[in-house]
Amino acid sequence: MNVTWWCSAQNAPWSWTWQAYPGVWLVVGSLIVGYVATARRAAGRTHVTPGQGGSFALGVLLVWAMLDWPLGPLAAGYLASVHTAQYLVLALIVPPLLLHGSPPWMLRQWLGTGVRLRIARGLTRPLIAFAIFNVVMVATHLPAVVDTLKVSQLGSFAIDVSWAIAGFAFWIPIMAPLPELAPMRLPGRIIFAMANLFLPTVPASFLTFAEYPIYALYELAPRVSGLSAVQDQQIAGLTMKIGGGLVIFTTASILFFQWYRREEDKTAI
Amino acid sequence: MVVPGWIPRGALAALCLSLVHGCGAPDPRPGELRGAHLTPPWPKPDFTLTDTDGDDFAFRKETSGSVTLLFFGFTNCPDVCPVQLANLAAVLHRQPGEIANRVRVVFVTTDPARDTPDRLRAWLDRFDPAFVGLAGPLDEVNRILRSVGLAPAVKVPTNDGGYAMGHAAQIIAYTEDERAHVMYPSGTRQEDWAHDLPRLVRGDWARIDQ
Repeated sequence: MNVTWWCSAQNAPWSWTWQAYPGVWLVVGSLIVGYVATARRAAGRTHVTPGQGGSFALGVLLVWAMLDWPLGPLAAGYLASVHTAQYLVLALIVPPLLLHGSPPWMLRQWLGTGVRLRIARGLTRPLIAFAIFNVVMVATHLPAVVDTLKVSQLGSFAIDVSWAIAGFAFWIPIMAPLPELAPMRLPGRIIFAMANLFLPTVPASFLTFAEYPIYALYELAPRVSGLSAVQDQQIAGLTMKIGGGLVIFTTASILFFQWYRREEDKTAI
Repeated sequence: MVVPGWIPRGALAALCLSLVHGCGAPDPRPGELRGAHLTPPWPKPDFTLTDTDGDDFAFRKETSGSVTLLFFGFTNCPDVCPVQLANLAAVLHRQPGEIANRVRVVFVTTDPARDTPDRLRAWLDRFDPAFVGLAGPLDEVNRILRSVGLAPAVKVPTNDGGYAMGHAAQIIAYTEDERAHVMYPSGTRQEDWAHDLPRLVRGDWARIDQ
């Protein structure tokens, strides 16, 4: 059995033999222990609803599924399409689940009132959050970055963590989980969501329409499926474009209807 | 597109441009090939092996007048062989007829014990039915390998009690002058083949050797 800390490209034929990634378990374990311990400490004074608990559990389950064997190593060194799916889930699906699963009192406990809160407030200001999300998204899809970082465990870890950070930077201004984080009004959130729709289409378009593979890593990896390197890359591009677009459009639509309903209620009064 | 004014547009443009160009190595000079240059050029070997139809294939005679890419490997190869052939096939399929029809790919098995003609043909057909598959006794194949300047193939035991074949991973490109001016190591990318194949067919090697 081959034990490595984090998934990275191995430059070896793919094997369906299970592999252990203790680093992933550590991350998943920390999330669960942190959540349960915080909830227990507050027991009696406040509580976590089943919906919140379920949302957090689903988020953690997705983190585990995306980073551990087999999807983790497939994304790290074999299939660009799985790499992109991993990005979508870690940046666009997991953060809202974890945020929705964390009640305000729990977030306040984690952020405190000092440095952590000030950092969180700074990083989730709309323009800063816009820059973080888009720079991380574009940079982590540059061929030189992917081909260089994905071959090492630390580099691969850095990409995965940067996606999660970028995801929280994107979702906190939209979900506005705490008034202390200076949330925008609903129209601002809609504009913010839609503004983040455009830049991701740049790498998505290159992945979809490039004549030849753009990542040496996935092009020269031993093939796992019947897909050619270009077909795999096209699926990656479409996943990024359609999947990412769907999440952001759906979010903007929900925000729009919330805003509409609120305005209607105001008119009715 | 909404781009806040405080984001340096130059940085954004640089990011997008680097994506367009793939951040790869700078383009070589016009006419330069991306394969490893062979100086002096290697002469084309003269050998006869058996093709997948069971007929004799006289390499030098049969490939005369075309760009010939000679590769040694085996069908159980888990990594280098399928990746090299898949990349080559993908590029050839995108080339216009006047280029693709003048390139021949010849694959010589280094595992004649397991690579029967049917197996070899079926495996090559997964990449391109036009790829030529040749087989012969391993001693003869190793003699050819040495004659073209490559290391002989060796049996390497595997953990499951079977064996793999250690073999040279380079593809040698013979041009119309019956010599090889470049060869392509494992790791050659599709964009490298797309760059070099038309130049090999057009005879750009002549300018390089001058």
